[in-house]
Amino acid sequence: MKKKIVVIPCSGIGKSFGEMGRQAVYEVIEDLRPGDVTTTCLARLMIDDPEAKALIEDNRVITVDGCAKDCARKNVEFTGKSVDRALRVIEVFKENRDLKPLGILNLGEDGFKLVHILAQKLNEEIAGLMRKES
Amino acid sequence: MLQEFKQEKVGIIPCNGEDLCEGTLTRFACRKVLDTLRPHETVTICLPLFIAGDAGERNFAKTFPTITVDGCAKRCSQVTTEKLSGKPRYAVVVSELLKERGMEAPSSKRTLTRKDQAAIDLVAEDIAGKVDEILRKG
Amino acid sequence: MGEDFMEVTYDKFIFRVKIGYFYHPEECWAIQEGDLVKVGVTDFLQRVVGDPVFLKLPETGDEITRDGYAGTLETIKTTIDLFCPVNGRIAEVHSELMDNPQPINSDPYGEGWLFKVAPSDWEGDKINLMDAQTYFPKMEAKIKEEMAKK
Repeated sequence: MKKKIVVIPCSGIGKSFGEMGRQAVYEVIEDLRPGDVTTTCLARLMIDDPEAKALIEDNRVITVDGCAKDCARKNVEFTGKSVDRALRVIEVFKENRDLKPLGILNLGEDGFKLVHILAQKLNEEIAGLMRKES
Repeated sequence: MLQEFKQEKVGIIPCNGEDLCEGTLTRFACRKVLDTLRPHETVTICLPLFIAGDAGERNFAKTFPTITVDGCAKRCSQVTTEKLSGKPRYAVVVSELLKERGMEAPSSKRTLTRKDQAAIDLVAEDIAGKVDEILRKG
Repeated sequence: MGEDFMEVTYDKFIFRVKIGYFYHPEECWAIQEGDLVKVGVTDFLQRVVGDPVFLKLPETGDEITRDGYAGTLETIKTTIDLFCPVNGRIAEVHSELMDNPQPINSDPYGEGWLFKVAPSDWEGDKINLMDAQTYFPKMEAKIKEEMAKK
């Protein structure tokens, strides 16, 4: 079976970074790399869900954290798996300070511009990992 | 020197599941409760911080009443909260609640439609009602 | 942590005030270190403004005045001016923070320090600052105001 890249956003609900991370992951999975990339609920790893654990054990993992608390990376590592790449949404925001998301879930035009930039960055990281594998 | 002030607040702990449409719904419904329906009575708890964070989230959930809001029957938020902190006062499972009320789950994880807004409102009102019950009973 | 801090918990947030530091109403602190005075922002401030993304600090050698402008902190929520609690000259700047300001959130009284001042009159300036015991109830009043804003 062809291996996939598993991209896991942080599930943050307190800041707009969490939603930006999720939307970027969805953009990659649905628009940019359908078939190559998948995700799973971070919360499933917290309950030791066998399917979710098997998915990350068998594949490369990229985490997308909203902020420096690094919840996605830490929760993946807590299962014993090392992540292959760890991205932070806040770093994209730092490079594009003029773009401010509207709200925590309602990102607005600027927020979605940041999402697109993050999705592109994620896409590049995925390309890098896939090159390594081939 | 530590002082603690008991606040009349309920912690809302959504699962935020990324892999299911109901997970997206949990987020929107919970934010509606936090921002609009019961802004002074509730506080959000980020589930992954139970493992990744300092003791703030776990301690809050030990001390104050919580409502877990799960997208599906895996009940990740309920199970994790019980394991790492304490039993929630209420455990909402969105897929079950929608089925009970004869409503369809959203069809997309990414965007929610106007039709989905009715589902968001339903779940949010259910959570808000539970918040009221908790604060009435103490 | 125990004896080093005064703490109060609101909801899930623990707000800390470091004992032995001196506090300015614009939410910065000062502590003497040898001949210099180290300056940073309070736990309350970092909690309210959120994740820092950009930090501008004064330069080494700059003259600085008490209550005067001492840089800018930009977060995803807001941009605020930073203030200096003492008169003097900037002796050292925590320049690594400008690339990675995250310690302002994670350790505002320690690794999140901003700059050090060679003070012109530390004893005189200190009189105008609050000790931890005096600042603590003022912080609590501000916390309640912030909570009520929601």
